[in-house]
Amino acid sequence: MDIQLNPMPSPASEKADPRQAARSLGKLLRQMQEYDTFLKALQAINTDAMVQKLAVQMRAHQNALQWGRDGDGQHAVELARLEQEIEALPVVQEYRQAEAQIRQIFLAVDEIISREAGVAFAANAKRSGCCG
Amino acid sequence: MELPEEIKNAAQALGSSLRQDNMVRAYLEAVEEFMADPEARQLEEQLYTIYNALVARQASGEQLSREDTQPFYELRRQVQTHPLISRRENELRLIRPYLADLADEISVFLGTDYTALARSE
Repeated sequence: MDIQLNPMPSPASEKADPRQAARSLGKLLRQMQEYDTFLKALQAINTDAMVQKLAVQMRAHQNALQWGRDGDGQHAVELARLEQEIEALPVVQEYRQAEAQIRQIFLAVDEIISREAGVAFAANAKRSGCCG
Repeated sequence: MELPEEIKNAAQALGSSLRQDNMVRAYLEAVEEFMADPEARQLEEQLYTIYNALVARQASGEQLSREDTQPFYELRRQVQTHPLISRRENELRLIRPYLADLADEISVFLGTDYTALARSE
């Protein structure tokens, strides 16, 4: 008969589950006041009529640039003007402020994860734009 | 900005659980082997030095000739085929989908992409 002298592993010898650790971290980040402010600011720009109107106009110029239809450079000029106009809107400025704050927090969080893990976490966790 | 203690602890817990993971350990061993080899390190450093010099010349408006870029491509081939460097890169490639899955676990709670917010722009 195989007798286990120490059937209960000590906490130090237990392997932590990275998925569970990731979920716990996600839950805590979601509860942060700064994250809530960021989400509200994001929702505000997504539902603001002026932002949406300018965004539609910007996309038209971006498409023209992407497909090489800007022989006289007018699309580029108009796109730059619209960018300035959209960035000057108070609702967008509030979003930028909230975004900057949450980025600062997430960068600090990621620095801790990466230092502990020995590998840059977010930089290597990013999925490629295409196909996976 | 000082992070709340429980967030710091949760980030540390995720990082240390990753370090214990077999796939991540294989990558870290490959990094260690690479770091212990001065020749491999020098080869890679040399590649970055040449690359940065070429980028700087190009940025200053210089048209680079084939003769200018040839040493870079030759060195890059050497770097890519170096056993320790290619092993390290291969191990990193293997853990990336796993890291992406873990980041997804965080993103599910956030409702936005964690990796987009946690990287320098």
